[in-house]
Amino acid sequence: MTGLRALVPFLPVAALAIALPFTGNDYWAVIGTRAAIYWVLVAGLNLVVGFGGQLAIGWVALLTVGAYTASVLVASAAWPIYMALAAAAGLGAVSGVVVGLPALRLRTFYFAMATLGFATIVTQVALAWESVTGGGIGVSGPAFPAPFDTAWGFYALCAVAAALCTWMTVNVGDSRFGRALVAIRDAEVAAEATGISKPALLVTVFLFAGATAGVAGGLFATLQSYITPDAFTFDLSVLFFIAILIGGRGSIIGPLLGTILLTVLPEFAAPLVAWSTFLYAALLGVIVLVMPGGIANLLDFRGRKPLESNRAIVPRPALLGEFLNHTTAEASIRLAGVALGFGAVRAIDGLDLVIRPGEVHGLIGPNGSGKTTTLNVISGFNRPDTGSLRLGAHPLPAGMPQTRARLGIARTFQTPRLIGEASLLENVMIGGTIEGRATFGETLVSLPRHRRDERVLRDAAMLALRTVGLESLAEARADRLQHSELRFMEIARALMLRPAFLLLDEPAAGLSPDEIRRLGELIAAIAARGTGVLLVEHHADLIFDICDHVTVLNLGRELAAGTPADIRAHQEVVSAYLGG
Amino acid sequence: MLSAILASGLAVGAVYALIGVTYNVMFSASRVMSFTAGQLGMLGGVFGALFISRLGLPGVVGFALTLAACALVGVITEIVAVRPVLGRLEQHLYVLSTLAFALMIQQFTAIEWSTEPQPFPRLFGIGSGGPFDEKFWLPLLACAAVIVGLELLYRRTLVGRAFLAIAEDNFAARALGLPERNLRIASFALAGVIGGLAGFAGGELLLANFANGGVLNFYGFVPVALGGLGNSRGAVVGGLALGVFQQAANFTVGGVFASVAVFVVFIVVLLAAPSGLFGPQQARRV
Amino acid sequence: MMTLTRRGFALGTAGAAAAMALARPAIAQSEPIRIGWLGSLTGPLAAPGVGFDRGMKWALAEVNGAGGVKGRHVEIIVRDTQGDPTKAVNATQELISRQKVHAMWGPGNSGEALATTPIMARQKMPDLHPCVVNSLIDPEKYPNAFRLAPSNTQWDDAVRHYTLDIVRAKDVAVIGDSTGYGTSAVKDSVANFKKDGANVVYQATIDPNTSDVTPDMLRMRDSGAKALVIWSVTTGLNSRLMNARAAIKWDVPIIGHPALGTGEVGKLVDKPANWENVYMVGYRSCSYGADGKLPARSQEFVDKIKGKIELADTSLWWVLCAVDAVNVITRAVAETGSTAPEALIGAWNKLDPYPGLFGNYRFSPTQHNGYPTDEVVMSAANSQRDLVGLGCEEQTKGWGRGRAPTCLLRPC
Repeated sequence: MTGLRALVPFLPVAALAIALPFTGNDYWAVIGTRAAIYWVLVAGLNLVVGFGGQLAIGWVALLTVGAYTASVLVASAAWPIYMALAAAAGLGAVSGVVVGLPALRLRTFYFAMATLGFATIVTQVALAWESVTGGGIGVSGPAFPAPFDTAWGFYALCAVAAALCTWMTVNVGDSRFGRALVAIRDAEVAAEATGISKPALLVTVFLFAGATAGVAGGLFATLQSYITPDAFTFDLSVLFFIAILIGGRGSIIGPLLGTILLTVLPEFAAPLVAWSTFLYAALLGVIVLVMPGGIANLLDFRGRKPLESNRAIVPRPALLGEFLNHTTAEASIRLAGVALGFGAVRAIDGLDLVIRPGEVHGLIGPNGSGKTTTLNVISGFNRPDTGSLRLGAHPLPAGMPQTRARLGIARTFQTPRLIGEASLLENVMIGGTIEGRATFGETLVSLPRHRRDERVLRDAAMLALRTVGLESLAEARADRLQHSELRFMEIARALMLRPAFLLLDEPAAGLSPDEIRRLGELIAAIAARGTGVLLVEHHADLIFDICDHVTVLNLGRELAAGTPADIRAHQEVVSAYLGG
Repeated sequence: MLSAILASGLAVGAVYALIGVTYNVMFSASRVMSFTAGQLGMLGGVFGALFISRLGLPGVVGFALTLAACALVGVITEIVAVRPVLGRLEQHLYVLSTLAFALMIQQFTAIEWSTEPQPFPRLFGIGSGGPFDEKFWLPLLACAAVIVGLELLYRRTLVGRAFLAIAEDNFAARALGLPERNLRIASFALAGVIGGLAGFAGGELLLANFANGGVLNFYGFVPVALGGLGNSRGAVVGGLALGVFQQAANFTVGGVFASVAVFVVFIVVLLAAPSGLFGPQQARRV
Repeated sequence: MMTLTRRGFALGTAGAAAAMALARPAIAQSEPIRIGWLGSLTGPLAAPGVGFDRGMKWALAEVNGAGGVKGRHVEIIVRDTQGDPTKAVNATQELISRQKVHAMWGPGNSGEALATTPIMARQKMPDLHPCVVNSLIDPEKYPNAFRLAPSNTQWDDAVRHYTLDIVRAKDVAVIGDSTGYGTSAVKDSVANFKKDGANVVYQATIDPNTSDVTPDMLRMRDSGAKALVIWSVTTGLNSRLMNARAAIKWDVPIIGHPALGTGEVGKLVDKPANWENVYMVGYRSCSYGADGKLPARSQEFVDKIKGKIELADTSLWWVLCAVDAVNVITRAVAETGSTAPEALIGAWNKLDPYPGLFGNYRFSPTQHNGYPTDEVVMSAANSQRDLVGLGCEEQTKGWGRGRAPTCLLRPC
């Protein structure tokens, strides 16, 4: 049902596509075909750029690969066109990974530059590899058999391909894969903490985007009737890229409209042709500076609905029983002799710590005493220089945050990490990404397992939101919420993992006394369900109210440890820290 | 023969190095990598040809005006493409805003100046095309002047130290009461001057051609990637090495294969050492 | 519901088509003759397009000033393709389907022409073009396409004969820029040199943006080349090659593409001497003869356009060729009284010869390469500095000093 509703915005475009043949003018067939082909490529690239936030500005390289593969196989090896197109998709997918792989290692700007380099090199290779590509003289584009051998027949084929790509990317966009991509883009550390594997996800998406670009290349070669390296200009790359940004990141209808706009607009502005790239660039600048949300943001009516202004967060700890059932005694997290320095500063200097199931362990200390660093070491974001880190009998792999979710270790962040444009519900659903069972392929074509995944995730997220008391805001955009609500949202997201351990980094910061009290009750209830909680906090009252055990840090070392009563009586702590 | 390869390799390498320094100066002040670095180099050549050849101004005046014009472009970059997105640095919008501005500069030049390369004036008339021709040593001279100048600026002047403080820690610098915004504008003007100088000094070699913008953007970035972000000495070493490597590849394998070779080396080094050969470690993320 | 609309639409279009068919003969007698012109007028490949454009406008004004063709006005509908094949494909279909042109001129760039030629052939659009790529002319595959300029083979023959027979160099280096045109021209040229028994000691394509080509030049010298054959339209590369040759003090002749002689190259050489010993393909109609004079027809045209068409920044042959294009189209309409594709193509198939300004074209049903080989000549590249300046008073005075073509090619 949700799947069908997601397709509603595309109806006007579909109607336009169906109406186009009634112009009876072959010229519009060519323009319509071109828009459809470009969209086949952009649809895939949109997952890379718009969802994943990877700035691949040289994607024309893959159009080139696809176009040459299809053309050469048909012209020189006499392959049937459909097989050649499949080969173009295959080679495109492989090339997509090759072009995209640097994204796993390189920073944004570096990656953008690397893709630019690829675009140049592919053209150069096409020129130099004369025996295959025909060099500068190029090669004939493949011709389709009837009924796709006329202008309108070919248009119909490309329009169907475009519709198919739209449907598949809508499926992905609305799935755990789409949300995980956006999480990588906007909240990378949160994505890692929920167990999302950036390499695996990006490689999958690069495969898909490369394949659609390969198919688009084959169709492009047919439309052009003949291809030479100079057909694959950097301007084309810019067009693809800008279409996505004009459309709006994380949207599908937006980039689709952007693609149509950029394909059709120049046809109405013939006198401005010399300035076309300049105008594209200006458009890009305006979009980035004035409306980073793009067209999609203009169409987002739901997100502008006013929220109830007088709202309170009332958690329902009783609901925890529905997903936290750690009845058997489980292993503890043990840190022994952990030390870690940043340059000359010793952030942690030989720390021992045990977090037991079913207990709330408080970690307090002045700023810079190593609290958050300790939490980061446990959750894998920092790798200790020395010392050991274990979960029960097994060592916890150091410096690998994406491994923690599978071990049932969840965390929140000092500054909430979220996807502003996504709804609260979707943000929470990200927490359960690793629970999904359907593969990317199943998701693409919306097989039953994918639909079941989505249903399960949605129900679980709704339950988590009800538990923390935010269910009335489930559909609201996350960036419109108050700070305190985001803190509870992070807890809900962490609960999606049914965590055996929950690491909370200053969850009470910025909360009202009432909210702190409810938070305390919620945390205590979580621990009572068998989850081990590490609570990094400044609010001494909260710590002493709910902790079973407290460690006081100073300059990266343990100053004191014991029950809240012990700490309260500890002379040094009281004078140095509690100000008592 | 070796001398010819070295002369032209070091000369183009010096231009690449200066563009690399341009990237770095902008980055130090704002944490932004800007696609306009190469365009500044291109403009240095075009403005030089415009002022001296086309408008017939004396060489010194033309030189000063070129640097001033490029400084202005640097400042406009800061105002138009950098400042508005500084607040959302983690979204990497600067990649897009500076790409947009760079494309606009390049297209505008193509349309209003020429799409054909135009001659750059002969400045001194020393040498006649041999390895000691001025077109080969002028970029090296400019590169040396910039290195010495930057060292003096950073070590000896108050403004220079303020630059360093900002590069070191933006927030701390602002907390200390440094006029962070003015220093950033000054940095972009300085980057404009350095980029313009690169283009001007390399003008006889590269000609006044709009297409140089894209070429310099890429080849000027390679030394930054190799030498490490913000490391100007690394950029100079990387730039000169790149220039010589490129010319040597041109000589040994020639043509298309030379550019493929440069690209492959670039990718391999980057993947092996994402922070560059002399670069710092990755920063804290949480 | 759906079927109703569809049938309604079908009926409507059928009606409209019938109405148009009825109205057609009446309109056809009086409607303007529309010529589509696919030119690369801006962007890096614009130089020839701008020259062609001036010639077209001049010819258009002339023919309409004389009352049109049989009372029919002539229109030129121009589309700037910027040398981009995708824009050229869009524009071709637009001119055919929307503007309903009767004939086409262009495109001139290889990438564009290779893409648009099959498209025009499918729709039987009569097309004249000046693109040199051999495979574009094939009366079997493209019965609608005719070339009004030399083919690459004709250029290549001229250069090769000059290199082997006049310069008498047997060891040659063949280079081009790394564009589509450059790479393919190098390939053809190398094959032909080898066929003629020459020794191709060096072969390469160079990125047109290479800042210093000294390494390439050194390699060529090391290879023992006695002549350099250059296929590049890029003025920057051409002039850099000349400068690098001077820098390593190598006095080897450079022979090749007409772009070696454009005024832009003259501006980019370090000193005029670097432009010596460079020979380019030229045309008899655009070259000074042994008597120091232009052919009469060309001279007459040059006198006529003086002060009206700027020639200083373009090449004369582009202008002449485009004037001929308009005249070849309008003449076919005048002869047959029709703008139907079959009529135009039929008339062109019988041009034998058509005395144009640029050359005496000959077409037949089996030969659509119209430019006569014996009008392709070789000349010293720097002699063009007088020719390109024909529009200027001062420079025309000096044309008598211009170098005579060093060699008039024997007909093949």
